[in-house]
Amino acid sequence: MNPMDLAVSSAEGAGMLGGMPAFAGATLMHYLVVSAAMFVIGLIGFLTRRNLIVMFLCTELMFQAAGIALIAFGRFHMNHSGESFVIFVLTVAAAEAALALALVVLLFRRKETLDGTAWKELKG
Amino acid sequence: MIEKLQSLWPEITLLTAACVVMITGQSASAAVRRLSWSICAAALIAAGLLAYSTTAASGHALPHMAMYGKIVTCVVGLLLLLMVAGIADRAYEAEVARGKTVFDAIRATRGEFYAFFMFSLTGLMLCFGADDLVWLFLALELVSLPTYIMVATSTSKNASMEAGVKYFFLGALGAATFLYGFALIYGATGATNLVQIHSAFAAQIAAGGLNTIGIVGLILAVVGVSFKIAAVPMHFYTPDVYQGASASVSAFLAFVPKSAGFATIILLLSTVGWLPSSDYPSGALPMPVHAVLWVMAVVTMTVGNVLALLQTSVKRTLAYSSIAHSGYMLVGVIAGPGKGDDFASSGIAAVLFYLLVYGVTNVGTFAVVAAMQRQNRDGTHSEADRIEDLRGMCATNPMMGWTMVICSASLLGLPPLLGFFGKLPLFSAGISGGHIGLVVILGLNSAIAAFYYLRLAAYPLLESPDMAARTSNPITQVPVTGRWLAGVLSVVGVIALAIWPVTSAAKFGATYKTKVAVPGGQVAQGK
Repeated sequence: MNPMDLAVSSAEGAGMLGGMPAFAGATLMHYLVVSAAMFVIGLIGFLTRRNLIVMFLCTELMFQAAGIALIAFGRFHMNHSGESFVIFVLTVAAAEAALALALVVLLFRRKETLDGTAWKELKG
Repeated sequence: MIEKLQSLWPEITLLTAACVVMITGQSASAAVRRLSWSICAAALIAAGLLAYSTTAASGHALPHMAMYGKIVTCVVGLLLLLMVAGIADRAYEAEVARGKTVFDAIRATRGEFYAFFMFSLTGLMLCFGADDLVWLFLALELVSLPTYIMVATSTSKNASMEAGVKYFFLGALGAATFLYGFALIYGATGATNLVQIHSAFAAQIAAGGLNTIGIVGLILAVVGVSFKIAAVPMHFYTPDVYQGASASVSAFLAFVPKSAGFATIILLLSTVGWLPSSDYPSGALPMPVHAVLWVMAVVTMTVGNVLALLQTSVKRTLAYSSIAHSGYMLVGVIAGPGKGDDFASSGIAAVLFYLLVYGVTNVGTFAVVAAMQRQNRDGTHSEADRIEDLRGMCATNPMMGWTMVICSASLLGLPPLLGFFGKLPLFSAGISGGHIGLVVILGLNSAIAAFYYLRLAAYPLLESPDMAARTSNPITQVPVTGRWLAGVLSVVGVIALAIWPVTSAAKFGATYKTKVAVPGGQVAQGK
């Protein structure tokens, strides 16, 4: 993912990269690296951990990684589509959090554990 | 703005009904509570009529798909509504009716259950009509979030909760993945509107090739959405969730999220378009996307069919068959809209038609499982989910037995039935697109699938009932009218929809072209 590809292909974007005085030194690439790192950390955590709350936090991390990418791209393209997208992402993430915690509480009441591996009735 | 709102009348109808049933389901009067079901049915019928009469918002990339998709949503939605009758609160309402307990709105789940059912269908309609990445994301989430709760609360067993949690966590992973994909697509094009994304990609292709970030974004989005369509690499949950949920909800999962996923994939891929190349003169996707989809299609159908052979549970077999059918439909996606406007060479039209075919047929098979119950030794009832339970059903319960026989024959694609007319366009679109290898694998997989579909059909039809097992664990019909009625209506659909295109094939092709055909020319001309 070379940001120069973007700068060349997006005509208005090319001029804007230099016009970011508030973020002196920080370019689009920095934000994308942070966001990609968050996404990968979330993915690895999801695949390796078995505590239901931690697994849920990992998916949240992945959602917020996408949020950072959206805001960085929004600044890069100098429009507000990315930022308004993030507002909706946050709303959905909140709804999802409510759902996840309700489900986890439901499961905890039955087995008194947060370990996902305690549930293995369905197999075959 | 007003014009856009006007195109949303069907969704507004469903949403209103969802809000109304949330209240009527909690009412102190049993008669009002029972109304909830009728309100949903009325709203679905009204939404279907509205979808037929409202025009699509202009500027939409695929205006005819929205109209077609919304009508299919209402038709299959009505069948599914018949099936979910009696899921919420059946035991509780019986207690209340016998005067054992007083109705307590806090304990009742009927209102929420029907509301979530309607919310999910609203999301599916919104998916078909989406013209923006934000819209698409919200619509996909609106499809999924209610289904997690529907799975977890569909029975009071631990298995349903386990299924609900599994479904939720993999769903969240899928959602995060396609959201990241959407973010990268926005980054590569600077727009969230699908039409603007299309023109940005077209400019990039004209300037020498697609942006790497855009391609990665498209691939991540397709991989994330593969959760919704139950395709490899996010298919693991399918058998467990379908088995853990009640059969009626499994039928819902096999149609609603799958259709939403395919609508999303088609809308996203239409932004890059199926471009003619030397290998594929009638058009193929950009190489990396094409390769990913090709591998997904082949692995999905093979994994689904091979693992289905090993199952002893009807619902698990149908779950793997659902995976395999997604693989078949991906062939249509890869073939693309084709050169001409005719039905036979358009893969997109084939996929859209197949969604209807699969939706109608699948309801029948799940309805048999939902309509029959096996009495356990301790007097409780469980779903007649083992293939053994189907043994001799044509003799003991001809209606449900024959439903199973006809619907599994249709899923297999036996010629006089609807399934055949669904699969045929997938083959013809693949061949006219030049994807011969893919079509050969599709054919081989259909042959593998014959083993387990014929098993599902032969157990009720050819085997004689096991009397010893029947006396110890009698299999009876669930006293809920909607369940068997859904099965019978599905059989009627499988036969009637199949006869219709045969008798008026020419007419069918023509109406299909004007209503569903993708403006393939428009997509390809940008380049």
